[in-house]
Amino acid sequence: MSVVIYLKAGSELRLRLKPDIDYYTRRVETEEGKSIKEILTDIGVNPGFVAFIYIEGKIRGLDYIPSEGQSITLQPPVSGG
Amino acid sequence: MSLSDLEKERYFKQLSVQDWDQERLKLAKVLIVGIGGLGSASALYFTAAGVGKLCLCDGDRVKRSNLNRQILYLEESIGKIKVEEAKRRLVSLNPDVEIEAVPESISGQNADELTRDCDIIIDGLDNIESRFLLNEQSVKMQIPYVYGAVQGWQGYVGLFHPPQTACLACVLPKDAQIPDMIPIPGVLPGTIGILQATEAIKFIMGVEKTLAGSFLIYDSQNLTFDIVETEKNPNCSCCAL
Repeated sequence: MSVVIYLKAGSELRLRLKPDIDYYTRRVETEEGKSIKEILTDIGVNPGFVAFIYIEGKIRGLDYIPSEGQSITLQPPVSGG
Repeated sequence: MSLSDLEKERYFKQLSVQDWDQERLKLAKVLIVGIGGLGSASALYFTAAGVGKLCLCDGDRVKRSNLNRQILYLEESIGKIKVEEAKRRLVSLNPDVEIEAVPESISGQNADELTRDCDIIIDGLDNIESRFLLNEQSVKMQIPYVYGAVQGWQGYVGLFHPPQTACLACVLPKDAQIPDMIPIPGVLPGTIGILQATEAIKFIMGVEKTLAGSFLIYDSQNLTFDIVETEKNPNCSCCAL
């Protein structure tokens, strides 16, 4: 069974995501039960370029398994100072 | 402890801010690890605000490429020891703040000594490995840690206070891909450094609403501030032990 989710990203990560819905968002149809890490790999985005995700105002790890219709924001690692 | 007439004059504009507690600030010792872009900005504002003690830790010397964002330093600072230059500038801003300059990088050998007796740790670092070391120290000593990081147009701020909140290792992976050269416009560490100082000052004074338990994501390119909740990871390699 498949689910449809929406991945969002800003800044440099947005270019890797290749949005197709709007400036930030890519629609992804995927097999139910896959983690974000697996989904990113499937669509050609190296999970190493994503530090964490957040969904509905909460930070989650890349092992999170999304549900139908969820919007997931991807955040890159940021390490300068 | 009461304020002198000179202190009342210096801090006049902030003393009437709601929940402000200058005397509590005077008793606080703040450790800033890394006096680069982030640390320059936060150090200036901690000093201006009148914290009691400020410990500056950084093993580097000033380079010309620092000057677009490390606002404590001048052209004449190039080649000099960062923490000594920083102390000189900060003392001239507010001689009432006791400033300790430690010309070392944080390591497993000096972390205990550096963090002993400090009330809060401020992240001014430029690499993820040292940040995780600082986080481990925060967890071990149960000292709140104000994380900050910048890259391109993005900046992050977090206030970690385990065991009450998640720690940095609950939120960030240790194996993320970091580019060799990190682009940083000067305004970004300035913004994030000041946000770090703001949250730390609020925490010290006991202001109710802080970033503890939350994480701020600033995207200056797209003009967004997002605040998201963090959760303790029950399997965290650092704070769950």
